[in-house]
Amino acid sequence: MKRIKFLLVISVLVLALGVVSLGALAADKPPVVIGLQGPITGAWAYEGQMAKQSCEIAAQLINESGGILGGRMIEIRVADDACEPKAGALAAMKLISQKDVVASVSTYGSSVCEPASNLYEKFKKVNIAYGSTAVRLTERGLKYFFRTCGIDSAQGIFFADYVPRVFGAKKIAIMHDNTTFAKGVAEETKKALQPKVDAGEVEIVYYDAITPGEKDFSVPLTKVRETNPDVLYFTGYYPEAALVVSQARDIGIDCPFVGGNAAINDEFVKIAGLEKAKGCFMTQEPMPAELPYPESKIFLDAYKAKYGEIPSSPWPVYAADALNIIAYAIDKTGSTNSDVLAEYLRNEVNAVPGVTGSIGFTEKGDREGVPYLMYVVNEEGTFDIYNK
Amino acid sequence: MRIFLEQMLNGLTIGSFYALIALGYSMVYGVMKLINFAHGDLFTLGSYLGFTLLVWGNAYVTSHVGLAGGMIAAMLIAAIGIGTAGIIVERIAYRPIYPAGRLPAVVSALGVSIFLENIIMVLWGPRYQAYPVNVVPTLRFEIGGIHITLLQIVILILSFILLAILYYIVQKTTFGAAIRASALDRDTAALMGININTIIFFVFALGPALGGTAGVMVGMYYRQISFTMGWNYGLKAFTATILGGIGNIPGAMVGGLLLGIFEMLGSAYISTAYKDVFVFLILILVLIFRPRGLLGEKVAEKV
Amino acid sequence: MKLNKNIILKNWPIFIVTIILSVFPFMVNNYWIDVFFFFGIYALLGLSLNIVLGEVGLFDLGHMGFMAIGAYTTAILNTHFGIPIIFLIPVSALAAAGFAWLVCFPIIHLRGDYLAIVTIGMGEIIRITLINNPFGITGGPNGVFGIDFLSFGGPLVIDSSIESYFVIWIVVGLAILALINLQRSRIGRAWNYIREDEIAAESTGIDVRYYKLLAFVLGAGLAGIAGNIYASKLMIVSPESFSFMESCMLFCIVLIGGMGSIPGVLIGAAVISLFPEVFRTFAQYRMLIFGAAMVAMMIFRPSGIWPRRRGAVEFKSLLMKAGE
Repeated sequence: MKRIKFLLVISVLVLALGVVSLGALAADKPPVVIGLQGPITGAWAYEGQMAKQSCEIAAQLINESGGILGGRMIEIRVADDACEPKAGALAAMKLISQKDVVASVSTYGSSVCEPASNLYEKFKKVNIAYGSTAVRLTERGLKYFFRTCGIDSAQGIFFADYVPRVFGAKKIAIMHDNTTFAKGVAEETKKALQPKVDAGEVEIVYYDAITPGEKDFSVPLTKVRETNPDVLYFTGYYPEAALVVSQARDIGIDCPFVGGNAAINDEFVKIAGLEKAKGCFMTQEPMPAELPYPESKIFLDAYKAKYGEIPSSPWPVYAADALNIIAYAIDKTGSTNSDVLAEYLRNEVNAVPGVTGSIGFTEKGDREGVPYLMYVVNEEGTFDIYNK
Repeated sequence: MRIFLEQMLNGLTIGSFYALIALGYSMVYGVMKLINFAHGDLFTLGSYLGFTLLVWGNAYVTSHVGLAGGMIAAMLIAAIGIGTAGIIVERIAYRPIYPAGRLPAVVSALGVSIFLENIIMVLWGPRYQAYPVNVVPTLRFEIGGIHITLLQIVILILSFILLAILYYIVQKTTFGAAIRASALDRDTAALMGININTIIFFVFALGPALGGTAGVMVGMYYRQISFTMGWNYGLKAFTATILGGIGNIPGAMVGGLLLGIFEMLGSAYISTAYKDVFVFLILILVLIFRPRGLLGEKVAEKV
Repeated sequence: MKLNKNIILKNWPIFIVTIILSVFPFMVNNYWIDVFFFFGIYALLGLSLNIVLGEVGLFDLGHMGFMAIGAYTTAILNTHFGIPIIFLIPVSALAAAGFAWLVCFPIIHLRGDYLAIVTIGMGEIIRITLINNPFGITGGPNGVFGIDFLSFGGPLVIDSSIESYFVIWIVVGLAILALINLQRSRIGRAWNYIREDEIAAESTGIDVRYYKLLAFVLGAGLAGIAGNIYASKLMIVSPESFSFMESCMLFCIVLIGGMGSIPGVLIGAAVISLFPEVFRTFAQYRMLIFGAAMVAMMIFRPSGIWPRRRGAVEFKSLLMKAGE
């Protein structure tokens, strides 16, 4: 008997919760609700929480200047996906099923973005990614998917052009960590270097993956050392990057170290230690500190006022721009209909000033004209654009 | 050849960490027949305790006892702290479950593991933390073409001292004999007059204490710690325990060192990406052809 | 079994649950339907592990590996060769079952904890191999994408939340019926005997090796089916979904629910899959509470929420037989 009661109680509780989740309070002038999907918990909580804070500042700035659609305020609804595909699908569904969510800023990890964007497409909701750079995402012919960040192939092309030319590198070692993102960048770089390899100018002396979450890379790095590379390019994330550079220096790899755009942030400097971090390079979209636009200054000042420091990586700022462009589209079209918005974003949005520069989308949904720069870690542990 | 030697050093360093953690698993399993899944997280907790002392208490400690003293202090505090934690975990989460059998204990251990991992995240934050750089001065040597750092030498020496001490206790003292007897057959050992409660206390204090010390050493060596790192180390250490023969304490040491070396071999000569596959395959082969592990004794099955 | 009044009265909890589950999706939004879909997947997986762990008592901590085989078989054959999902259900089951047979054959004699570590190793080997994209077919960490929906031909394509919900729960229902029959059969009794006392079982002539392998093969096959349904719902499979942690969760489902108990497994699956969703509001404390709850559960109710009523049933049925 006890068991049955227990089971009934659980069923009733769950049903009640389900019904409760349906309710939505109608307000006087209802806010425009924009969803935000990202890794608020989990291994990338740091990035996810910065993105959330960025969107909040962006919304705050819009609301302070009167809102959109004749005085309606922007409200952000957050769904945590912990950077895991299944949780991403559920988070997307959570936002989709809430009728008042107009569009979604989603998400950080490429492998999470994929199933989530499929769902948004099926249920016809505009979604703009801010950190998912895998090339494949815009190769699917989706109508409602866009992104304000760059793509991996652009980064690979930049590296392949810049490094042999500016560093004079002939022997290049490439290391990744087998994640969707890092492997993607590594593959694109390899592809972009292929013409130079064929012409005999460049040789890829090492191409292998380390396992993320591990700490000891002494063994693969010893292998790298034996190939005597002119440059070591690591495309993985900052926790491993810091360890890689630290251990590389310990075992005698003295060549320049270049990280990809997920490898270097202030955590990297902290973990590797200033001594080893300074002089490291990275291929990166422009960092928040570099953004020269008036909109950037307003945004960063507001962000700093509330949180004490500016975001330490570019992705949160792309998230803010995703929110900005959605709000812009809603305001200009006067509509919250997904088809109208998608059409407007794709065809009419052109050189709209945003925090990260002028925003425009290609036919496929990629951000137009994202530049890449080579940064170097300076004596204080912050990042400067490398001038050679 | 010299590359091989250098890689061997790398393998031994990794292996010594596995060995220290594996000891904790082996001791607990041997006496209690319980796989303490929380052991990896106790190791992580030790690492964080050391971090707290060295980073937040830094000036105070080193100004009083100098760098080396700071390091020893961190390890001692981690050892005592985690030893205590081990006993607390045993009292709260395992002792009430002994009568229920072994499988509920596994679930409880998993629960403790999840709990500890998240408590660390709540208390210290989800960001990676970093040990200070100069706990041991960063000096690089090149001996006969082999690169080695001062830190690596210190760590290796410390690990081997700890392993040697434990080996001595377990193999050469009466108390050690009592532990081995309890691992072999707990009930008979009790009948022989061995105070099982003392053994349990000792095993749950010393095993985690070693793990905690290993945590500080890992923190010093790799400098980066995170609340999820216990999982990986725990799994590898458990593998090492089985490799050496579960319940066998020297076996855990041998298993740990061998595992480090196998991992190194797989990574250096086959493929870094597949190294874990290589390690597990070796393990499975060993278990098929020598199921009691490398040093395990053939125990007759009671009918 | 004739469906008469007595049967319904005796088994009324089952009917209540069936009715609730059938009506539920029409009352809530798509998000909750999806949550319950995943609940169904976990239930199916829990049932498949229950065969190995609950009935026979084999320490399997790598069960997600079998699901991964089923899911990837479906994904690869569907995207590369265009084979419809519906034909891939038995194919995935066979692939997973075949793999289980091949792999467990040399290790089935291992004692409890050794088997545990070997199954962990197996699960990890599968996961790492999938990540590394051997022969270029598994898509590496990206996984395989573009998987079709399940279709029964014509207009009946399972592409909405509510339809996949019913698919999984019908499969779970069928699995339960099959498992109940197994439980009451010679095979089920042999399994339980092996769990209770392997040596005695062997000495009464039960081929222990055969029955253990059978359990693994059946459990793997069922997990393979779960993998197929999961793949066609998400339209993408990636290695991260099949980690060691997930295998541990399956283990907990069986133990928390009650070993060998089918209603227990369902409750266990509910707890494991619904708990994180329900407690989303607690954010970072969510997993903390979860871990503590697991420990508390084992302290206060180690036999599970709904343990298998064993002796009582057999005795009662003996009495009933004697009274005829």
